[in-house]
Parts: sequence; structure tokens; C-alpha cells
Amino acid sequence: MKGFYKSKVMAILWFGMPILSFLMHFLQEGVEDLPISYLVGLVVASIGGTLASVMLSTSIVNEKNNKVYNLFLVRPVKRYNLILSKFFAVYSCLIIATIISIITGIVIDELTIGLPPETVMEQTFESLSISLAAMAISCSVGIFIGIIISSVASAAIISIYIGNQFSLLSMLPSIFLPDIDPILFTTIVGTIITVFFLLITILIFKRKQI
Amino acid sequence: MENAYIELKNVSKHYGSIKALDNLSFSINKGEVFGYIGPNGAGKTTTIKILVGLIRNYKGKVYIDGVDISKSRADYSKTLGYLPQEVGFQEWRTVDHALKTFGKLSGLKSKYLEKRIEDALKLVSLTEAQYKKIKYLSGGMKQRLCFAQAILNEPKILILDEPMSGLDPTSRFQMKNIIKEFAKTGITILLSSHILSDVQDFCTKIGILNNGYILKIGSPIDLQQESQIQNNLEIVFAEKPLIYEDLTELSCIDSLERLSDNKLLVFIKSETDLDESIYFILKKIVEKKSKVRSFHILKPSLEDVYIKYIRGGV
Repeated sequence: MKGFYKSKVMAILWFGMPILSFLMHFLQEGVEDLPISYLVGLVVASIGGTLASVMLSTSIVNEKNNKVYNLFLVRPVKRYNLILSKFFAVYSCLIIATIISIITGIVIDELTIGLPPETVMEQTFESLSISLAAMAISCSVGIFIGIIISSVASAAIISIYIGNQFSLLSMLPSIFLPDIDPILFTTIVGTIITVFFLLITILIFKRKQI
Repeated sequence: MENAYIELKNVSKHYGSIKALDNLSFSINKGEVFGYIGPNGAGKTTTIKILVGLIRNYKGKVYIDGVDISKSRADYSKTLGYLPQEVGFQEWRTVDHALKTFGKLSGLKSKYLEKRIEDALKLVSLTEAQYKKIKYLSGGMKQRLCFAQAILNEPKILILDEPMSGLDPTSRFQMKNIIKEFAKTGITILLSSHILSDVQDFCTKIGILNNGYILKIGSPIDLQQESQIQNNLEIVFAEKPLIYEDLTELSCIDSLERLSDNKLLVFIKSETDLDESIYFILKKIVEKKSKVRSFHILKPSLEDVYIKYIRGGV
């Protein structure tokens, strides 16, 4: 955890995402009517999730190839702890990045278009749940790719394509079923897919010869 | 096996169709410094990975202090220190941060861990680099850091896989001294290497491994004696000797080689008693009234023994 929050990638996420969303709001056609807080959630979910997935998969491949895990695995530590600590370190950093971004968006919305608080909060919670679910999936897919692939370049490419596609699965319920509660269903789908990938990764890592 | 602290019984390991270890059996007693030598691909690193728990799917049994390691891995790993052949760190960490992480994973409590980090860094002369990022350390410093992490938990067993490989002469010298100092503490050490002088310097027992099985095991002296490699004598005369022909007549001498006008290399037959041979040679020299300036017994080095065993000479 200590390493991730200090990393340059996280600094870009924490400061870059709100700036990017702010710029998109004014420069991208068709999104000027959306509140910035909502837009921020979508931007963080898509770019942040992909970035986390790539960062996780490449760092795991790199550490695996450099035999970094040997010194961890000879100690009295369970293999699944390594997987889970990687996941939670990056995911918690992403949550912080998302919260910073959304708070920035709310403040800007209040100052510019002055949306009624209940509308802002509703849309913000919706975008927040989509973001968190998508990022959880991206992180778990990133770890899965990192464990099974042994080339850094391949891991990065696969993460960009597959990691991002899987993260979008959490948004499907609210697109195809407009009557359902998007927050509830996004959270459920996101949790199921994340747990599924983490379990498979743990099983593979347990049997894998390092 | 009596007094065996580390014991491998019929351990076999395959990588696909390649046999890495073939019914490997040997034991190491408590407090021994065991030199594990063999050519590349002999199975040294595979044995070590089994011992430290990185390889778990193998045939046979490994006992530490009489307990099967596959049944008490967590307890056993607390007593273990390991320096791998290839050192890998998360290089964005500082030396202190890395050691704290390793210490916590080994179950060490904060205050004790800080003391241990201080002691370990002092032993490997890295105190000044405690708060430096690992990416700024030299190769030799990283190797010493790796040694520091291996001894952090005050292990009862220290496993060193090629600890001197890839180091420059200065770093090698430093590392050798660190291991020598640590060997004096009486812990059980397994040191694998293909640099035989490193092993000869501080190992009390040596195992020669080839093609996945132990060819020979014993103390360096025993191996030298058992190898039946002929002893040589180097005799330096005060003047050009006139006894060349007379010496060749001695039944204990295999051959002679003139190194210079007054220097002679005498190859003693391996099956003859060395002391008896020396007696006859000196007797002959005295009889011929040749003046001797120096007389040396050139015993076979560990390298000679190793080559002989690996080539199947014994």
C-alpha cells in the first residue's frame, strides 16, 4: 500500500483525473449538459480502471520475472495473501482517487451550474458505484493476467483490451434493464466478477511454480 | 540417520521429461557448514527450492530436525534464512522499508525487528544505506542486503544459493568474510556454489552433485584422501641434481617432470603410502649426496577432486 500511494501512476490518477474530466466537460461536444461529478465517475472508471489493470499486470509480471516473490514465499505467509494485498492496495488507492475526483466535480458543479443537491447526489452515487465496480473488475483482471502471462508487453496489451472490456460488464445491467436499481445491480455484478477472477488467480498462483 | 538436522530421503523431481533430481538422499548435521557443489544443471537450485518450500510437488521426503517439512511448513519457515541465486527486490522500497516488510512477514515484532535490522545492516556494512532506495544500490550492496534479509529472523538454518556469483572481487571478498563470520555462530548452513575455493574456505562437509544425485559426500580432507588422486612432490635442489635416473627406479614413483634445472616435480603413485614414498625418495637423495633447498608435498586441491568425481574417475 505504502508503495502504491506514492507511485507516479497514482499521482496522475489523483490529480490528473479531475483535471481531465473538467477539460472534457468544456471541450467534448454533447457532454456539456452532464454534471461534472457524473462525468468524473465515468472517466475514472474507464481510464482509472484500465490504468490500474495495466499497472497491476505489468508489475506482477515484472516482479515474477525478477524473482521478487521468492523472498516473500519462503516466509510463513500464505500465497493468497500476496494476491489479496496487491488487489486491496491498488483498489483502495483507486477509491481515494475516485473520491477526490467526485468531490472536485461536486464543488465545480455547485459553483458553475448550481444543480439541486438531491440531483447531484443521486447522479454522483450512481457514477460512484459504476466506477467502483468497474475498477474492482479491472484490478482483479489485471492480477489474473499478471499471474498467467510472463511477458510484460503481452500483459500490458491484454490488460488494455480485456481488462477494460470486463470492467464494462458492471455497467450492462443498467443499460439493458432500465427499470432496475443501477447502484444495487452494478455492485452485485462487479462483486461477482471480481471475486470470480480473484479466486481463479489464487488457485493458479497456489499451484504455480515460482 | 543419527544427529541429522536436515535430511533428504529419495527426493526426485522432474520438469516435464527432464529429471532434475534422481532419488537424492543426504543429510546435514546441526552446526555443519555444508558445501553443495556441482556443475550447472546438476540440481543444486532445485534441491534448495525444495528445502525452502518454493517447490512443493516432488517425490520423497525432506525432514528438518526429524519433522517432515510438508507437514509443518509455517513453523519451519520461521527458522529459515534464504539467499536466492537471483536477487529480486521491489526496488522502489528503501532498504529499511524492505527489511521491515520481510521482518513482519516472518512474524517479528516491531521493536525486536528494529533491533534486528540495525544488527543485520551492521553485519553486512550497510548501515549508511538504511534509508536509501534499493534501486540506487550497487550489485554487491544488493547481495549484502539479501544476506541481511536472510538473517533477519535469526534463522537456525541458512540456505545460500550461489551467494558470490556475479560479484566483483571486492564484493566477493566482503561477502566471503560476512559468511565466514556468520558460520562461527554455529548455525547450520547449506551453501551452493560452483566456485570451489569459496566452498573449501569455510565448509565442514561437502556434497558433490551431478545429474540429480550425490556422487560423493564428506569433509574436504576425506574427499581429498578418498579421491585417490596422486600426491605430488616439488623438490628444489641447491644445484642441478644428478639423481634423475635413480629416482625413476623407485617403485613408488609414477613419473618425474623437470620444472627447471634444479626443480623437480615427482608424481607419487596413488596406491602407495605417501610417508613411505617420501622416506625412500629422501633416502635416495641423501645417498646421492644431493643438496635439497626445499621440499613440498602438493596435495590435490578440491578442484582436482571435484573434476575427478564429475568426470567419473572414481
